[in-house]
Amino acid sequence: MFGTPMNLAVRRYTNRFLIAMGFYCAFLVTAVWAFKHSHPAGPLAYLLAVLPSIPIVATIVIVGVYLAEEKDEFVRNLFIQAAVWGIGATLTVTSVWGFLELFVPVTHLDLYLVFPMFWFFVGISSGLLRLRYR
Amino acid sequence: MKNELRVFRARRGWSQADLAERLEVSRQSVNAIETGKFDPSLPLAFKLARLFETTIEELFSDEVQG
Repeated sequence: MFGTPMNLAVRRYTNRFLIAMGFYCAFLVTAVWAFKHSHPAGPLAYLLAVLPSIPIVATIVIVGVYLAEEKDEFVRNLFIQAAVWGIGATLTVTSVWGFLELFVPVTHLDLYLVFPMFWFFVGISSGLLRLRYR
Repeated sequence: MKNELRVFRARRGWSQADLAERLEVSRQSVNAIETGKFDPSLPLAFKLARLFETTIEELFSDEVQG
């Protein structure tokens, strides 16, 4: 992430994040397949529908664990700054888009896109911060 | 915050990477502290002072880095 070479906390974070994303892909494929082929109903349908969101929620926990494990206070500070910028940018885009949807005809923004949007902005912020502190 | 880190480091002939290794932080952290872009926490400032066998006041002053 910010430190080179990767310190232990960053390595652990990256591994956990990749595992969560692996589960996300598997759960997403399972949910899509199930709704396309077996048309689940009742509680099973709800369970399958929320299945892909479980690894997404897990990434929040993974970030929390990383912040607790990261011993390099500067690297931790950069990560927090990037996350705050990511939250700010995501809230800005979703709020602006929400009002646009309310009053004028624009494409609907699906809520499941908010999380990838957050990580997209965190990525951009990380890059910019890296340049600032180079 | 102004600091004399570069001077103390030069006296020992250490690179930023050498100091980073001794502090168990990244080289970027040392660079950010040296250039005044990041103020270290009190525990890290004490660690630096102990490493250079000096006081925090000798290493850091509350003047703004030029």
